[in-house]
Formats: sequence, structure tokens, C-alpha cells
Amino acid sequence: MSDELDRIRREMHSVLQPEGVRPDDSLKITRRTFIHGSLVFGAATVGQAFAWWPLLNTLDIAHAAETPFKFAWISDTHLYPRSLNTRFVDKVVRAAQEVQAMDPPADFLIFGGDLAQLGKIEELELGVDLLKEIKIPKHYIPGEHDWYLDMGKKWGELFGQPNWTFDHKGVRFIGLDTVSRGPDYWTAKNMTPEERMGHMATLDGTVAGPWAGVGRDQLDWMEKTLADWDKQRPVVIFSHNPLYEYYPPWNFWVRDWREVHEVLKPYAKVTNIHGHVHQVLYNEIGTLRSIGMLATSWPWPYAPEGLPKLTKPMIRVDPGDPYDGVGWSKLDVAANDQLETEYIMWGRKEVFVQSPEDHDKHVSEVIRPRIADNMWPYR
Amino acid sequence: MITHSKIRCSLRRFPLIGGIAIAAVCAGPTSAHKDPVKPEQLKIYQEVFMEEVRKGDLLFHGDQKMAEQLGVADDLSKTGMACAMCHPMASDTHPQSFPKFQAQIAKFATLRDMINWCIEKPNQGVKIDPESEAMKALEAYITWSNTGSVLQPGKF
Repeated sequence: MSDELDRIRREMHSVLQPEGVRPDDSLKITRRTFIHGSLVFGAATVGQAFAWWPLLNTLDIAHAAETPFKFAWISDTHLYPRSLNTRFVDKVVRAAQEVQAMDPPADFLIFGGDLAQLGKIEELELGVDLLKEIKIPKHYIPGEHDWYLDMGKKWGELFGQPNWTFDHKGVRFIGLDTVSRGPDYWTAKNMTPEERMGHMATLDGTVAGPWAGVGRDQLDWMEKTLADWDKQRPVVIFSHNPLYEYYPPWNFWVRDWREVHEVLKPYAKVTNIHGHVHQVLYNEIGTLRSIGMLATSWPWPYAPEGLPKLTKPMIRVDPGDPYDGVGWSKLDVAANDQLETEYIMWGRKEVFVQSPEDHDKHVSEVIRPRIADNMWPYR
Repeated sequence: MITHSKIRCSLRRFPLIGGIAIAAVCAGPTSAHKDPVKPEQLKIYQEVFMEEVRKGDLLFHGDQKMAEQLGVADDLSKTGMACAMCHPMASDTHPQSFPKFQAQIAKFATLRDMINWCIEKPNQGVKIDPESEAMKALEAYITWSNTGSVLQPGKF
């Protein structure tokens, strides 16, 4: 970890996590048995092996469900037109079928952004078409890949307001738009919409800059939305990007995470569920727990630095298997008020590393940012 | 006499270095690398390398124009996938771990073998000539991006 990042982390914890402050004690992290995604098709149940890491997939939330219910999460499908890439289509089809097959059924689906790869009408409409398989109510938040071709025009026509809130069986749910407030990097350079989208769609690009943010207007909206909510009752916030600083060069953060935490600080039981990172992630900042979700499209390696120490890493994937390291998530609010998050990772019995060699950082690396997108004629 | 003994001794100790030195004298031109290095030479040397890095960076990130320029536009990917989509900043490419036994290929492999495997499997493209400019550019970018990584040949 660099000195600068270490300094930022220390500052973050000193501000938000003074002695004795953690997510509410009623949010117990307990162990449970993983159920592999292929169980849907009759395969095995897999035991959880690690004892020394907090287990991230089970959260007990007090005062939660009035009645038990489940909901599902799918994100980061990155659909190209069907004529170009059928693998991504096949994986959305599979996820949709599995969500629809949940028994008892989920109460609703959250789609966590990046439905399209390049924001094209054809890609977004393909996503809508594929997700029609899922008959339960669906709530969408945008990803940057959905937005920057036409600045959210088509996305808005399809899905409406990008931020929203609703209460369901004792839990307040909030969907945030963390993508649309990126700084203007295109006007001065006379970029076409396709060029703008191309830079935005490159995770390790250097042109789009720190685009991920919540924005003052939306922070005010969130504060107002939470104003009438009992501070001891559970809140679940969905966002495309994580609401803390993990690795800014890949926008694995929101740039105004400090302000986000200022708004959330009075609430004792807040869980953030986010996409964008295409990997298993877990973190605690102040009273907020954050859980990163898998993509259906492809997995990303962990960032060169900044992986939260509370994260038990996911297993190093086999690049030869397009179903490895990807999937969707099942969230189950049970009768005993537990909110359980279960990763459905296709192609794997073990979601987490089982030995040092299973970690993608087992081969130590020192890497640096790309250069070609900041050289003529791209500058 | 003493001088000759020292030379013989050196050649016995370092047969490879001696061999290269003799080959260089025989093959000539003798003056090519014997002048002190000038800053402008170093600049050109670096520029040649960085131009290959730039080309490789663009190929790695799916730049169609560069792929066309290097004659691999129909080969690198047929799915819209680019190398950088799984390997941002060329992370997890691990050039420092090659050569090694590569499980996916089931053989002792070089970085170029692995690049071609990725082109053929995840990208569903067509293998490119291992000696092509495109391959050398990809290799240049991947290794440049991993500057500072410690060599760990053979590491799983």
C-alpha cells in the first residue's frame, strides 16, 4: 500500500471509525454453508473453510423483516449486440433463468448497472429483452457504460429516474446514481459521443478521470429521504460504485465518499451493495458495511493496492472458462431477521481462496498506468 | 605472457561472454558499439522502445486503427473483448512469471504462447505470428507496464 493511500485510509478511519464505532452489533457476521450456483441444477453443497476471516455473506439485521423475503442482484452484464458476443448474452439468460427459478421466489430484482458495454440503444434494449424472463419487480440503477454515449437519454427512457427509494417489509431501500456526474472531459477536446463512451468504457483509462460520485444534490436528496427513518432501523443502499475509497484509478470509489458517510453516520445499520468491481469485496467504514457483487460478464483482478483488509478474496479464476469468477447474488431476509448475501459463482464450488496460490496476487506485481490514451492524437 | 594467461583464464571462466566477444569481433562492424553513449542515442533508443509500448498499449486496449495498421484487425478478438478488459493496466498478466508450465495450455510456455492462447480462447480470435510486430508490441506494453515486478520465472 502506498504512503498516500495509507494516509488516506488512516484519515478515513480516524474520522469515521473512532474507538468503539462499528456497524451496529446486531449486524452479526455469522458462518453459513455456501450453496453453489449449480445447486439450482442439482449439484453439491459446499462447506465454508476459513475461520480467521469475517465471513461476508451473512448479515444479521435486527428489526429487519416484518416477514421473510428474498431479493436478487444482477449487474455488470456489459452486453454487446448479440451478433458480436453471444457469451455475454448466454450468461444473462442463465442468470435470469436462475433468478426466476428461485423458490420461494424473490420479491424483487436489483439490476446494479452496466447493462450495456458501449451504451448503444441496441445493447440496452437487448438487456431489457433478456431480463423480461424475470417476472418479479425490477429496479435499475445505471452504470457508466450505460450512460456516456447519449448521457443517459436511452437509459432514462427505459428505466426512469436513476435514483429512487422504497420501503419493503421494514427495510428502507435506496438506489443511487454514482455515474452521471463525471467531470466534462469531452467538450474541450471535441470528442464524438463514441469517443466519450470509449474513454469511459476503459477501466484503466486516464482520460475520463474521477467520474464516480454521488453529488451534492443527490446527497441532499438522500439526507432528506432518510430524515423520517428511525436511525436504528435497517437501510440498504444500492450503488454501482463502492461508497468508499478502494482504488480511485479504476473508479473503485466515489470521489465524495466522505460526504456520503457524513450523511449516513447517524444510521446504525446501513448496508451498501455495489457492482462495478466484478469481484468479491467486503468492507466496513464507520457504521456502514459494503458488499461487492460479481459481474455476469467477466471478473476483474483485485486492484494493485487498497484491497480492504476485511475482504476474504475470491478465488483466482480460470480464464479458459467464461463461466468462472462470474455470476449473480441472492439476498435472503429470513424469518429470524437475517439478511444473507449469497454469491452464486458459476463454474466454482469454492468462491473464496483456499490457499495462497488461489489468490490472484500470489504472483506479486508492480504495475503502472497506461500511456497511449494520453498521447497524440488522443490528448 | 601474463596478459595472455589472464585472457585464457577469463575465457575459461566465462565462456559465454568470451564467445559473444569473439562473435562481435568477427561479425563487425567493429565500431558500432565502441563509442561512448551519447544522450541523443539514449533518447532515440528510449523512443524506439516507447513507440512499441504505445502500439502495444493500443492493441491491448482494442484500438481498431492500430490493429489494422499492424495487420491483426481480424485476429485479436472476435467478441469485442480486448486484453485490458480482463487485465487493466496489464495486471494479472504476470510477464515476470514466464516461462513456466501453463496449465491452460498444458505445456511449458512463454509469454507469447500465453498471449496467443488468450487471443484464441477468451477473445475467440486467431493466433498471430509470434514473431510479428503486433506480438512484439504487446510484449513490450505488458512488460513495460509491469516494470518493477520482480522476476519469478516458473511461478504458478
